[in-house]
Amino acid sequence: MIRFIIPLIAVILFFLEPVFSLFSPISIADVSYTLVPRFVIVYLIFITAYYGRRRAIQYGIVLGLLYDMYHIDIIGVYTFLYPVICYFAALIIRQIHRHIITVMLLSMAMVALLELLSYFFASLIALTSIGFEEFIVLRLMPTMGANSIFVGMFGYLFKRLIDEVGLQKAGI
Amino acid sequence: MPRFFSNKRLILLLVGVIVLVALISFSLKDRQNATLPEQIVKDVVGFGQSIFSKPAHYITGTLDKIDGILNTYEENKHLKARLKEYAANQAELADVKADNKELREIVDKKDSLRDYEPIQATVISRNPDQWEEKIIIDRGSVEGVELNMAVITASGLIGKVVLVTPFKSTVELLSTENRDFRVAAVIPGDKSIFGLIEGYDSARGELIMKRIDSNFEVKEGQKVESSGLGGIFPKGLLIGEVTEVSTDDFGLTKLAYIRPAAEFSMLDHVMVVKRSSRITSGTDGIVAGEEEEGEDGS
Repeated sequence: MIRFIIPLIAVILFFLEPVFSLFSPISIADVSYTLVPRFVIVYLIFITAYYGRRRAIQYGIVLGLLYDMYHIDIIGVYTFLYPVICYFAALIIRQIHRHIITVMLLSMAMVALLELLSYFFASLIALTSIGFEEFIVLRLMPTMGANSIFVGMFGYLFKRLIDEVGLQKAGI
Repeated sequence: MPRFFSNKRLILLLVGVIVLVALISFSLKDRQNATLPEQIVKDVVGFGQSIFSKPAHYITGTLDKIDGILNTYEENKHLKARLKEYAANQAELADVKADNKELREIVDKKDSLRDYEPIQATVISRNPDQWEEKIIIDRGSVEGVELNMAVITASGLIGKVVLVTPFKSTVELLSTENRDFRVAAVIPGDKSIFGLIEGYDSARGELIMKRIDSNFEVKEGQKVESSGLGGIFPKGLLIGEVTEVSTDDFGLTKLAYIRPAAEFSMLDHVMVVKRSSRITSGTDGIVAGEEEEGEDGS
């Protein structure tokens, strides 16, 4: 039963992302800040760190494909970005200690990388015309802030959960 | 320095990139229609999505109610002041409506550009990577939603339908940066002033109405409505209010900034508007066939 809990959480986070994005953009003093929920990628980084790169990349491809088909209507953007980011995270995690704090920081860095790559893609196909500085101030920073709250709240929980499933698997 | 990619992985990556570029270009080409697998995925994922978003709407609704109760006293005071005015307006409106109906019967004109049937819908999600301003609603072609229909809330126009699947449809909001998103608009008054809503200034949070004839005088504070002349939207959907008037880049026509009447964040209940009078093909603001001409002219 507990085997299914890892994909189940991934699916729940996938469905929660668009619900949270209904709150965005938030305007403070006539400036609207865009908050992009990136829960799935954070979770995928935790899977990469504590469970296995292979599994994370598999989930990344499936969830990325669903994300593209359902939200973006351009197939291939997140189908590519999710696994690639998991792969990079796996390369980095090999070099550092898997302490919870470092994994949290790594997942934040990867959220920033994902945002940056999606910005480059969006400006490449002319979905957006905002400048790089505007992107940093109005989008990247609020996104990092909001997602770091998420990482802070659920990071430890994810680690415990994935560890437990991993241990059980090793036990069998 | 560790090797990043072994040969096998490098080939896998390259093949992957080629496949994805092909997929991206394939899906970029025709974004107005969904292929069958896309439709199935959209409807199935959308079903799961609505399970999550309905409770979320319930929670935000409850918070709104609490917020409303806290402000009751002040609102009540304000509303009482408005009530007398409202009663007078109501009487006048009823009178004018009856008059209008009579006059219509005299001239034997049955369908009006203003008439529409609303289709009630709930917003189930917003595009989470917010490069495009898109929301997904829980009504599709089965309920009668069609491409390019206008979508409104109680306070005004918010966007139009850009993609329809049997049970869900995607709505692009007015606050999009998409240049092809045009709405034929009018500023009602003694003389109607026509123009096109074209583009959104994200720094100001205001819409831009272009191609206004420079002989007309536009004042700040005037209301802007859809004109119904685009062929698909009905007439008289409130869009917003003029905040600033200037001339366009070439100095030939006027340009007005418009504060939208509807809020684009925190959307929950919306209406898809089905015009009663005949619908022409194409998108609002560009009648089919005229598009190429317009491109050449500009």
